[in-house]
Amino acid sequence: MFDFLIDGFGVALTPLNLGLAFLGALLGTLFGALPGIGPINGIAILMPLAYTLGLPAESALILLAGVYTGAEYGGRMSSILLNVPGDAGAVMTTLDGHPLAKKGLAGPALGLSAVSSFVGATIAIIGLTLFAPLLAEVAVMFGPAEFFALMVFAFASMSVMMGKDPIKTAIGAVLGVMVAMVGVDSGTGVLRYTFGMAELYDGIDFVVMIIGLFAISEILLMLEHANRSDADDGMPPLGRVMVSVKELLSCKWAMLRSALIGFIVGVLPGTGASVAGAVAYTTEKRLSDKDNTFGTGDMRGLAAPEAANNAAAAGSFVPMLTLGIPGSGTTAVLLGALMLYNITPGPMMFTERPEVAGGLIASLYIGNIVLLALNLPLAGVFARVLTIPRWVLVPGIAILAFVGVYQLHSDLTAIYLMLIIGIFGYLLRKLGFSLAPVILGYVLGGLMEDNLRRALSISGGDLGILWQSGISLGLWIAAALLLTLPWLLPKLLAGKSADKA
Amino acid sequence: MRLAADRVLGIVLIGLAAFAAIFALKLQIPFSYEPVGPKAFPLGLSILLAALSLVLVLRPGQSGSWPNKTLSLKLLAVLAVLLIYALLFTRLGFLITTCFTVLALARLFDAPWLKALLAAVLMTAGSYLLFTQGLDIVLPWGYWMPVFG
Amino acid sequence: MKFNKALCYWPALLTLGGVLLTGTAQAQSGATECIAPAKPGGGYDLTCRLAANGLQETDLIDKPMMVSYMPGGIGAVAYNHVNGVRNDDPNLIVAASTGAAVNLALGKFGQYDADEVRWLGALGADYGAIVVKADAPWQNLEELMQDLQTKPGDIVFGAGGTVGSQDWMKAALTAKAADISPRDLRYVAFEGGGESLAALLGNHIQVFTGDLSELSSQLESGKVRVLAALSEERLDGPYTDIPTAAEQGYDVQWPIWRGYYMGPDVSDEAYQAWVDKLKTLSEKEKFAELREARGLFPMARFGDDFDGYVKDQVAQFKQLAEEVGLTQ
Repeated sequence: MFDFLIDGFGVALTPLNLGLAFLGALLGTLFGALPGIGPINGIAILMPLAYTLGLPAESALILLAGVYTGAEYGGRMSSILLNVPGDAGAVMTTLDGHPLAKKGLAGPALGLSAVSSFVGATIAIIGLTLFAPLLAEVAVMFGPAEFFALMVFAFASMSVMMGKDPIKTAIGAVLGVMVAMVGVDSGTGVLRYTFGMAELYDGIDFVVMIIGLFAISEILLMLEHANRSDADDGMPPLGRVMVSVKELLSCKWAMLRSALIGFIVGVLPGTGASVAGAVAYTTEKRLSDKDNTFGTGDMRGLAAPEAANNAAAAGSFVPMLTLGIPGSGTTAVLLGALMLYNITPGPMMFTERPEVAGGLIASLYIGNIVLLALNLPLAGVFARVLTIPRWVLVPGIAILAFVGVYQLHSDLTAIYLMLIIGIFGYLLRKLGFSLAPVILGYVLGGLMEDNLRRALSISGGDLGILWQSGISLGLWIAAALLLTLPWLLPKLLAGKSADKA
Repeated sequence: MRLAADRVLGIVLIGLAAFAAIFALKLQIPFSYEPVGPKAFPLGLSILLAALSLVLVLRPGQSGSWPNKTLSLKLLAVLAVLLIYALLFTRLGFLITTCFTVLALARLFDAPWLKALLAAVLMTAGSYLLFTQGLDIVLPWGYWMPVFG
Repeated sequence: MKFNKALCYWPALLTLGGVLLTGTAQAQSGATECIAPAKPGGGYDLTCRLAANGLQETDLIDKPMMVSYMPGGIGAVAYNHVNGVRNDDPNLIVAASTGAAVNLALGKFGQYDADEVRWLGALGADYGAIVVKADAPWQNLEELMQDLQTKPGDIVFGAGGTVGSQDWMKAALTAKAADISPRDLRYVAFEGGGESLAALLGNHIQVFTGDLSELSSQLESGKVRVLAALSEERLDGPYTDIPTAAEQGYDVQWPIWRGYYMGPDVSDEAYQAWVDKLKTLSEKEKFAELREARGLFPMARFGDDFDGYVKDQVAQFKQLAEEVGLTQ
């Protein structure tokens, strides 16, 4: 049954392919670490190169898959060190990762996130090997109604993050959803909030949004910090370079649970690392944040999204390899790479081109070990980024932000938009808003609207479709529980202790 | 006056909600196959936003500390540098604009002149090589090049 | 210490000077550029890469062609940019497709219409397809059309584009061929062909109007049935068994061409040089391999021929849009 995997290791362990897995992992980590340049850009840049170099299909795929998984590792670095997510999947990593760095635990934070990434990816790759055909069958049952229920569930789990200022969290999420409304309406083709600008037809681009909101506003905030903290000159100490076994063990359940969540979210078509990180973080906060330490530098709050986003990256290969349907934006690009080689992904791939399917999966195992080996000892080197003076760091962020956006748009409007969003981001942060709900509203809101409207147009307006299937009903119940448990649980517990007394 | 920030924000957001709602109501739809349509979501969100903002106006929270005058001027200067960078990015090309932007930003973040110049030159050259040679990204050359050719 | 810093500074300046000089040399050697008016990885990227890889591998250009991205409105942003800013760049071509022609017809490209730019040629095409699940009750287009006429409300169409997009046009034209107003259709818009296909396989929609090239793996595994290919003639390869719509008595054709245009003020010589280059490329054997690897079928229209073809198409779409009330 696992012949394809044995064949695969035979392919992946040749010197050329080992070298490519290593190169891909290294480049991917670099792409992921650069804010704004994520796995999609990295693969898009390397894909034609691999093709023109005349690499065979399985080697090209091993290189590109290495870039993909490497980018999910690399994305955490700028999240932790600069509070700027390196890519979409790393948005939630900032929440506890950056406070840890501020506490002087940048080294352990990088080490811990490398291990969580490894655990998440490993579990998901094993899942990919075992359950690929099975899980793909479940994923394809997700229709618009089920996706809508999933979004409701995601927003319900967001309520966990409402923390000390629920009104501002809610406003942030609503603003995020409203930004997602800009552009051509996918149902009717009507233009919404575009003000006659062709640049806004496709909506506000994700990269423009996160670079503006996080990187530009960060530059402005840094200026304030630079002027305020003149007295306690210099950066916080780096702390230990390695993460201790005790710290790792304290996060083991967070990692395992989040890896599972990340894998499942990754398998669903259309949702990837960013949603996985969000769902895992909020679930973990709900389950284990007894002392309300999440958001202030809790190790578990860092381990959860990192395990989840790497698991999602591996999970999104399931629908791609078994059905030929991309599980994320990045696998959509990889799918294009396969087409270049005249390989059509699908159930036949495991039997007709086992060297490609098996080689890819085997290379994921190898790449994952390479990444851990690369990231763990070098964590200290990366942590030293913090000692770079602000007058180098700030222009560096500015260059990366500008080139990242320009490379994607070749157009100045996108850059102006990024600056405007940056000013809004700064003002929101000054007013005590957290940016995570804004980004989540933006990512989930569009999906929520589209799927609700699709579901109702399939049913011809009958609301019943929304909870007809077992999957959607289950999600509705889970969402309801998430919203009511914080009220019910204390009462139930109080009731119990009253009984005893 | 410490509480004012949230009130101002609340009023601005109610204005935004009203604007978004009016825009949604004015949408012309040639024809549509679906019962929900493109207006429902923006309208619902506007109402939700207005309601939440009203709470903010009525029960504002603590507003944080705001920059003083010199810091505000510096903030505006940083924004101005970034805006000029954007304005000239394609006209003068990546190398010249980046060099000056790094210089200006480094100065605004209190680097001495010599260090700022060093950073400007090294970072421009380094990032240029990284992007064009390493990542194969097309950077703008600027429209002044033909003058020299 | 200060002296040391100053010493570091001069070599750095020299490096910059060197970079500037080599860069200038590169920029002036007439490097060609293709704008893909979309994000990396999409159909337009593929169109640009087809030209870039093809021209380089057949030695028709000596320097690699740069591919840059300018997403927005299925090409609207790039169209405005080329008309407004880089209107006479002899080294710049822009990727376009049927989708761009549809939007030109609907007036979604702003102030410019199809007559503005110089249409160069098309290097390949894909074809629309009417797809149902393998266990669907319809064995051929005739059966589907009859059911559609008797109970249009029971059959849900889906595809990867909004009302008015090229994906929707396929569904609308099919309905029209069965004498059903596109307004009476039940149509659900998804985000791209992959999502629509997933919805078809998951029984959420009954008919998917997609493109042939994105179906090959599902065809092989036998999960879907293609009722009709919207091509002029039967296609070969894995598609030989698929009848065209015309064969079954319905006059619906939907080629999705992949081609290029240049700025409005490009000189005739530069334009002609590009037309010749693309024509030569299309005749090379090596190019046929590249095209097939991208799942594209042959299509060769260049220069005036292509120019006329695009303008006719735009006029035809305009008429259709008015008929169904998409434009006022």
